[in-house]
Amino acid sequence: MTVKLVKVTPKVERYPEYEELDWVIAHGLGVDHTADITSFSQTIAQAGSIKGIETYYYMRYDDSPERNYIPMAFYTVLGKPKVPVLLHEEVEPVGELFKVIAVFSSSLLLQKTAQRALLFDGAKKDAILLVNTSITTDDVVRLVKKYNLAQDWFGKVVTISAAKIDSAIAYPMLGALARGWDRIDLDSILTALDVLGKEKKKESVRKGYEAASVKEVHVLAEETEMFKKIKREVELPEFTGEFWTPDVYYAYQKAAAEAQTYPSRIAAMPRWEVLAPGLIEFGPQPGKRNLGFTTPWRWQRPIIDMNKCTDCKLCHYYCPDGAIDFAPIKVDIDYCKGCGTCEKVCPVKAIKMVPEIEYLEGLRDEEVLRRFEQREYGF
Amino acid sequence: MSAIKPMPPVAIEKPKAKVWNGARAIAETVKVADVDVIAAYPIRPYTGIMNALASMIADGEFTADIIVADSEHSQFEVVKHASAVGARVFAGSSGVGLAFAAEPIIVTALSQLPVVAAIGTRALDDPGNFGMEWSDALMFRDFGWLISWAKTVQEAADMTLVAYRVAEDRRVLLPHFIALDGAAITHVATPVVPVTKQQATEFLPPYRPPYRIDPQDGPVTKAQHIAPSLIGPEERKTIDVAQKRSKQVIAEAWKDFAKYTGREYTPFLETIGMEDAEFALIGMGAYMKDLELVASRLRSKGHKVGTVRLRYVRPFPAEELINALGGVKAAGVIEFGYSFGSPFGTGSLYHEVATSLYEADAKPTLLDFLFLGGREPTVEHFTQLAEKVIESAHKKPQKKTYWLTLRGEDI
Repeated sequence: MTVKLVKVTPKVERYPEYEELDWVIAHGLGVDHTADITSFSQTIAQAGSIKGIETYYYMRYDDSPERNYIPMAFYTVLGKPKVPVLLHEEVEPVGELFKVIAVFSSSLLLQKTAQRALLFDGAKKDAILLVNTSITTDDVVRLVKKYNLAQDWFGKVVTISAAKIDSAIAYPMLGALARGWDRIDLDSILTALDVLGKEKKKESVRKGYEAASVKEVHVLAEETEMFKKIKREVELPEFTGEFWTPDVYYAYQKAAAEAQTYPSRIAAMPRWEVLAPGLIEFGPQPGKRNLGFTTPWRWQRPIIDMNKCTDCKLCHYYCPDGAIDFAPIKVDIDYCKGCGTCEKVCPVKAIKMVPEIEYLEGLRDEEVLRRFEQREYGF
Repeated sequence: MSAIKPMPPVAIEKPKAKVWNGARAIAETVKVADVDVIAAYPIRPYTGIMNALASMIADGEFTADIIVADSEHSQFEVVKHASAVGARVFAGSSGVGLAFAAEPIIVTALSQLPVVAAIGTRALDDPGNFGMEWSDALMFRDFGWLISWAKTVQEAADMTLVAYRVAEDRRVLLPHFIALDGAAITHVATPVVPVTKQQATEFLPPYRPPYRIDPQDGPVTKAQHIAPSLIGPEERKTIDVAQKRSKQVIAEAWKDFAKYTGREYTPFLETIGMEDAEFALIGMGAYMKDLELVASRLRSKGHKVGTVRLRYVRPFPAEELINALGGVKAAGVIEFGYSFGSPFGTGSLYHEVATSLYEADAKPTLLDFLFLGGREPTVEHFTQLAEKVIESAHKKPQKKTYWLTLRGEDI
């Protein structure tokens, strides 16, 4: 059976109610950044509350940050007089929401690592991009132009090398935020830390405030390389009233894997009529991997030194995603999640995990990802 | 002899609002409620509550026995038995965890043990997901548990304290669920004014069960298996009467709560703009806030729309609902729970509302709006459904139920 494909233009919705509020979105890597993003968002919300603004903060519930490195997002919402704060987690497809985009690892500046949406999806035109990185503001702008679709952006870039100041990177980040954004000033952040019983972290916030670099930016959407790459349509099987067949299933999967933006990913999800009873998924065709298991969010990748490799195949057996081919040993980079298991099990240390940003850009990223510590009342 | 140091003036500490998520807020109330035994088993979105409690106990903020069970079934067995020997207890779960614990949950009510448990509501999976649905909590509406539903994190924190007071009242002695919309309450942090230890101590008397299982009190057997010819409907009637009595106890408790904390709630229904309303939006939980916004916007356009929020599902405030809906032409039930194969394909809350309205003198047109499978609604959806309710007053609606977030044809 052949499946006839039709082009579907994804619907981009806008919700004016949400646009009236000030949203701070914080992007980080699952588990490693959970504690820091929680503290970051909580302190902003507490600072807002001290100023008498209605505030909320929450994580994107759809994410599964139980797994290391999965990109996750936290939202902090600050109300305005007469505009109540509303609840809405699925914020990616909406119009212009985010006033501040806080990025806890510069690897997330790469388009490939953003999960469902591009970094600038849902950003306001005058958004402030706050990045924890050792690279310069100019380099951040260059990366944004290369890997992101920044929609006509007339905002600011604020960079801070937070790990140099405090291993709890949330606090230098908060100082840097206060430097770049007048809505939440330094004093209210310091008061918030008093209320939260984190007086000891005030020094880190002050240092972050001083060490941050701020740059005004002016980027047009056309200047970003993503602008040319993004497909404005997805190809989906024409709905003929037929049931779920492997062909229809693979066609949907392919469309979902190719989708670059949140609206097109949503558009590539099937309508209820085609689903098979019991939510059947068809396995991959023989010799092929399952298209649905590719990853958009890997932040590091394994490089195998074939001079050292003894072809013991341990990495092949240990790879939790079956992303390493058997003969010869080769990583299928579309399916690799960047977990680093292969590096750990290699008896001759022939595998090295290289950050994506370094791999793609040749840059050294100084960030130290902290592990598991300081997790607050968790999720 | 050293001079006596002058005493510093006693500062009246005004509680500062803390930014807490629902899970943390509930845990903080459990902390001040002098709970003895906590049983835990993780399942999202409830997990945050047990994490917060475990952290607080580990940090020495309060003392309680926390038992991490091997499953939800054991978890609810632990609190059931602890309650029977006279301990104040706390548990909680979500989704299929509750389904697995169904047996001890049901027996707890029939044994009239005032266990208090939080439900982070979640869709029943698999296949499915961890999104917010009410089907897990509403599964237990028929067994004697009191079930309350919180709109905000603040209310969730307050409800937890009131739950103990109501459940442990000797006129009631029934277990109490506090249902929190998964994600929308459990994972969302807002400023919360905490219940202080002093308020809790004054408001909540110590738990003194009338017949606890304790060798000191002499031998007691509880919840025995008995031939139906000897005891059957009699035992069921005791539960029934306790449920009926609980309404008065709930009303008293919330009145008293306002006295101690200054936060006022109407006990059963929160109605906004219903005095002259022609159209009503009926629902529960966190999304009522968005519905209230939609109602106020429609009101500014000249449509008389009001909202009715149920704070309790058990006992169900039928009389209050009938009174609130007097004079209403059309109403919509907004819900996140369903009953497959039910009359006209309607949801669980719709059945409760429709049953109540059958006894009313004037019956409004009643529509059902379903948000199922955990997909999140937006203000846009709520506006659409409110417009459908308004339209139905002068034009007979083509159908009763609407699946608003569905991809594909809504048949």
